[in-house]
Amino acid sequence: MNILICISCVPDTTSKISFTDNDTKFNSEGVQYIVGPYEDYALARAVELKEKDNSIHISVLNVGLANNDPLLRKALAVGADDAFRINIFPNNSLHVANQIASFIKENNFDLILMGKESIDFNSAQVHYLTGSILNIPSLSPVTELNLNLKDQKILIKKEIDDGIETLEVVLPAILGCQEPIAEWKIPNMRGIMNARIKPLKVIESFADESKVNFSKFIIPEKKENIKIIDENNINELIKELKLKNL
Amino acid sequence: MSVLVFLEFSNGSLKETSKQALNYANSINDNVYGISDSNIDGDNLKSLGIFGLSTYFKFSGSFTEKNSFNSIITSIKDFKINFIVFPKSNHFLKVSSNLSVELNFPLVTNVVSVPKFENKICIKSLIFSGKAESNVEINSDNCIFVLNKNIIKISSFNKSVQIKEISYKTINSSSDRVFSINKEKIEGDILLNDADIVISAGRGLKGPENWKMIEELAKELGAATACSKPVSDAGWRPHHEHVGQTGLKISPNIYIAIGISGAIQHLAGVNSSKIIVVINNDADAPFFKHADYGIIGDAFDVIPRFINALK
Repeated sequence: MNILICISCVPDTTSKISFTDNDTKFNSEGVQYIVGPYEDYALARAVELKEKDNSIHISVLNVGLANNDPLLRKALAVGADDAFRINIFPNNSLHVANQIASFIKENNFDLILMGKESIDFNSAQVHYLTGSILNIPSLSPVTELNLNLKDQKILIKKEIDDGIETLEVVLPAILGCQEPIAEWKIPNMRGIMNARIKPLKVIESFADESKVNFSKFIIPEKKENIKIIDENNINELIKELKLKNL
Repeated sequence: MSVLVFLEFSNGSLKETSKQALNYANSINDNVYGISDSNIDGDNLKSLGIFGLSTYFKFSGSFTEKNSFNSIITSIKDFKINFIVFPKSNHFLKVSSNLSVELNFPLVTNVVSVPKFENKICIKSLIFSGKAESNVEINSDNCIFVLNKNIIKISSFNKSVQIKEISYKTINSSSDRVFSINKEKIEGDILLNDADIVISAGRGLKGPENWKMIEELAKELGAATACSKPVSDAGWRPHHEHVGQTGLKISPNIYIAIGISGAIQHLAGVNSSKIIVVINNDADAPFFKHADYGIIGDAFDVIPRFINALK
């Protein structure tokens, strides 16, 4: 059983967001990068499954530049067996999906796990687009994952718009993961030492034509000053909200 | 040039987000087609003209995800549709990306502005969990837009709805390998994503037993209930109520946060709310910096008073 985890490398959730070069580029100065929190859940679940069945092989993949390598090493330290980086700056969802799909076509994976969305561009599309390109099922956001390796199937729980659906899926399949699929794992010292000698392969990017371009970034204006209402005067709050069509 | 809107109904009536999508479509072109997963009956359809619907694609035969997708593709080509508009939902995120690949139409999600047509299509999209926006340029004559909630005011139109009957065609697809076993509906009348008002509470409430007053307040206001991450992590509330960076991102008209300090990760899930009300006994809670209205006081005093005042 081969599992592929596709990770995004994104600014830490507490980062201050700002832009440079006439607001055309993200300002990464002083910003701590992390593995996307949703992909961290996906990786943790894969490692849990491997702990039960050591025949499972876990690969991690990132579409991005060399500054992401330390985060791929971190994924190896958490428990992945090998890592791949497609050496190109990720332009938009379809661009990333095309890169991932081309990689999957050349390799053999039974299960592909991603996060439900990256926390920088939040498009929540890469897993669906990759599934459409490869014509394999893609489901998201998945909150529970169990394997049935004998029948090449998985049993999952997935959020739907008005509840939760339990599904059986014949592999190969792509899942967009979300908590509580697993608890985040922190690499231990042995993992960190092992990660140094695990393979990390850099691949040249696949040909692709992009039609969507994020051309300029804007930080929205801050809210006007807050109006403090006395705790004994709740009617004033109700009146204010009614004025705004409550 | 024409526009297709994917519509959602709840108990037979058109959802607010779908009304917004129809209005949005009219800002592109007034020839607006509509489609939905389940067919809507005649009288109901005619009433959709005031929201800006021109023509409804009515499919005959039994609906399945597979045959509907193929028929939609055919209709989009036959009726020369250039633009497709979706209100954002879990289901529509999937349909929109499948269509994008199948039709080779570029796709933009988290859209917060109507498009401008210059040499390229120009649109604004929300990024970094609402902490920033981006101008997006699309180099194509076609595009799919997935809209955030509450980005357009609804105005009324004077259209009479035409109905085009289309029959389903069956094909094989990857969904042949997916089998639904069970669906559990979320309890409560108002879904978090659809709610105009959301009452959210955090660790300040001290324990799950204290959510009774939150639920009572929500009932008085016709609101949905939500919570912060520590609360769902502790199992006080179900995970689907968690709003924030790694939970649901919502944009209601009014968001009332009770006993939530307002960490940046929580704000990421709620910062597109129109009005934010913060109730917290800590005057230094960071949430007050992002609120429109604040009450500094103990939730256990303020909430019962709030409920009584509404009664």
